[in-house]
Amino acid sequence: MNEAERELLETVRRARAERRTVPSKGSERNVALEGAFRIQAELAAGRPLKGYKLGLVSPAKQRQMGIDRPVWGRVFSEMIHAHEVRLSDFIQPRVEPEVAALLASDLPAGSSEGAAMRAVAGFVLAVDILDSIWEGYRFTLAEVVADNTSGGGFLMGERLLEAPPAGDLELWLDGELLGRGPVTALGNPYRQLATLADMAGGLSAGQVVFLGSPAAAQPARPGTLTLLSAAGSLSARLV
Amino acid sequence: MSGERLSEMARLLDEAWETRTPVAPLSQTHGLSSIEDAYEVQRLFHERRTARGERLLGRKIGLTARAVQRQLGVDQPDFGNLWASRYFPREGSIVEVPREIFLQPRIEGELAFLIGRRLSGPGVSLQEVLAATEAVAPAFEIVDSRIRDWKITITDTIADNASYGGFTLGAWRRSWLSRDLRTLGMLLVKNGQPTAQGAGAAALDHPAAAVAWLANTFGRFGVALEPGDIVLSGSWIPVQPVERGDVCELLLADAEPLVLRFT
Repeated sequence: MNEAERELLETVRRARAERRTVPSKGSERNVALEGAFRIQAELAAGRPLKGYKLGLVSPAKQRQMGIDRPVWGRVFSEMIHAHEVRLSDFIQPRVEPEVAALLASDLPAGSSEGAAMRAVAGFVLAVDILDSIWEGYRFTLAEVVADNTSGGGFLMGERLLEAPPAGDLELWLDGELLGRGPVTALGNPYRQLATLADMAGGLSAGQVVFLGSPAAAQPARPGTLTLLSAAGSLSARLV
Repeated sequence: MSGERLSEMARLLDEAWETRTPVAPLSQTHGLSSIEDAYEVQRLFHERRTARGERLLGRKIGLTARAVQRQLGVDQPDFGNLWASRYFPREGSIVEVPREIFLQPRIEGELAFLIGRRLSGPGVSLQEVLAATEAVAPAFEIVDSRIRDWKITITDTIADNASYGGFTLGAWRRSWLSRDLRTLGMLLVKNGQPTAQGAGAAALDHPAAAVAWLANTFGRFGVALEPGDIVLSGSWIPVQPVERGDVCELLLADAEPLVLRFT
């Protein structure tokens, strides 16, 4: 790790530990994407891994950040919530509607889309509760990747679906529609899983992969969060 | 509590099982008050059964209904062992179960999980349970108590193998894994009368949540749920009394009825 990488690592480690925001260094941050993933891995050491999350899944967002495939972060056990989420545990939580895939068998790097299809046990509705140390979610690609791709918390639906739901995902907070987007915007989920398996060095049976959101993330605040889709709903209390 | 006292309680339970004669509550006669001690008695009781040739088919989860937890003053379920000598496989259309092998049987309706992939806690989510399950099946569980008149406290039932009596299963179904198990319903018809009904959410809010609880509880002892294990995940209906001659039908939408007769 070079000096710029060590500096970024320490910035992320400290801000996460102290639960506070820091400003982006923008173009002065001299860390490449590979270096950022090394930092993410270093910060993950010793934490029980439950799976992964994909970020920047839409081609439009990828163009904006100058990349041609999604970025990814790690999901740890303590990030999985159910029924109630304490917002005070987060730095600047935002929520977005998602779909997650559950793996019934291993998916090694270099697997085909068909192998990914065979490895998937099913899908669940999900909510990504993003969190970031970067003030106002303004960051460079390396900064967001080093900060575990804005990993915060997750909620999962309690019904296993054979395929991602058709139509839109709608995310409501009490009576307000926070965001809506078509599930098709997430692309082919099996292709995404095969790509992730390549990037992450293989996926394991029992892991969950959050496949990204078709709607922009919105600030979280206390209330009842409800995700609606043609295939059912998922709700939780944000306190 | 001394090991001697714990094994004395296991011996009493084993004798009650053998002679079909209930004993007074161990919480009163032996001061059994800690959950930990109660599970140790259960383990010793299980050892005695296996020494007599009993085989383990899986586990049962009890006290999954919030109302029952409140009655016993607890905020979590309990578990016990499924012993093979009391599994009644369905061969014809009606499963016949002899009344006289039980002490004071009651009946419950629930969902059985067939574990397909090892589940090792802590940190097992209900979604992980669904992904690791091979299939599910409707099940009748006969609960029974070696404690006189069912005068149980939480420690009495835990020591007594979570009041296990026996069980029977309908057909295993993989396709049900992609149903909403919380809203699936069941109806118990006893002697032609609709008697009790409930939905999956009655079992700890979601049957798979009960299995996740078990995997996570086992994780603390370094035990896992293994492929091939059967897990009875807790009743969807209030427990019902049964007598010799009773015919019980367990009805679920789109499933053939599971019918049990006490002979």
